[in-house]
Amino acid sequence: MAELQSVIDKAGVLIREVQGRSPDESSDTGHEAGDASGDIDQLKSRLAESETDLQETTDRMVEVEHQRGRLMSLYVATCELHETLDLEEVKRTVGEIAVELLGADSYALLLRQGDTDGYEVAVSRQTVGVADGLFVGPDYTGGDAMVDEALVDGVLRTSTEEGSHALAVVPLAIKGSTMGALVILKLLDHKASLTSEDRDLLDLLAAHAASALFAAQLFVATDRKLRTLEDLVEVVRGG
Amino acid sequence: MQPKKVLVVDDSKLIHKMFEVMLRSYALVHAMDGREGLERLHEHPDIDLILLDINMPSMNGFEFLEEVKRSEAFTEVPVIIVSTEGKDQDTVRGLQAGAAAYIKKPFRNEEILKLIERLPPEASD
Repeated sequence: MAELQSVIDKAGVLIREVQGRSPDESSDTGHEAGDASGDIDQLKSRLAESETDLQETTDRMVEVEHQRGRLMSLYVATCELHETLDLEEVKRTVGEIAVELLGADSYALLLRQGDTDGYEVAVSRQTVGVADGLFVGPDYTGGDAMVDEALVDGVLRTSTEEGSHALAVVPLAIKGSTMGALVILKLLDHKASLTSEDRDLLDLLAAHAASALFAAQLFVATDRKLRTLEDLVEVVRGG
Repeated sequence: MQPKKVLVVDDSKLIHKMFEVMLRSYALVHAMDGREGLERLHEHPDIDLILLDINMPSMNGFEFLEEVKRSEAFTEVPVIIVSTEGKDQDTVRGLQAGAAAYIKKPFRNEEILKLIERLPPEASD
């Protein structure tokens, strides 16, 4: 591009030289110079168009790279959530997504306690001294309006409401029943706010964390039953 | 081009997985804390880049970095700190200790990739 610009500039200098000659000298060359001048204007215009195209392509490339990175994060988060049936590991993964990918400084993962209406604080970070201590644990007994509403209606919330300390509440619902929620209470100091891209991650958590946690809970319950049955068989055999 | 060997020192499994997907053309070596990182480094002396977290159990990132820079064998290996710690004093401490760059989590994947591409040739060859 720079080379082409240099050629056009040199051509421009030559034309100006030719046009500067006396009428006798330049009677023939004058017409040629006029034509060349038109060509140069055309070339300059095409160069400008090419530069615009190049800029647009570069911008698009940057955007594509960014989208690729974003999709990569979503892919990794999904894989990690479903990689294991170990309940503690799934909980830890939800926490890691909150901190490492969303930039949460303070969060709490609430999970329904068995078939009751109560919720335990299953995993949390930096909740002491935050949100009036509502999420310090071991149980969440209500008190944060946004969280309480999300636990009832199962709707994801991402803007602070009156009576709430949460920045975002991600309800974890499966088969229409809310089994818990991820509550984001504070972001890392260098993270100004949640972005539209973070919203994609929150949606992913709402969709996948619930099923991953449900599967792990089911596995724990089934495994416990299996062990009880095995113990029973041992006792019967021994007797 | 020979594949580059990168040591990832981070206590988050999620971050290890993320780097695995991001850096597919690189040979990755994994460590969950600074102490394990030093062990991996001695097992793989051909490592030519370290991606390092700060908050880790056993030995934190700063302590690990100081050990690496003290060691004659590894002092030239570039270290990129990737941490949730975002205070200016942490950045300054990391760079003064010899880190090539300090990236704050959550990071944009392309930010890390560009940084690795721009490392001096002796580090990336």
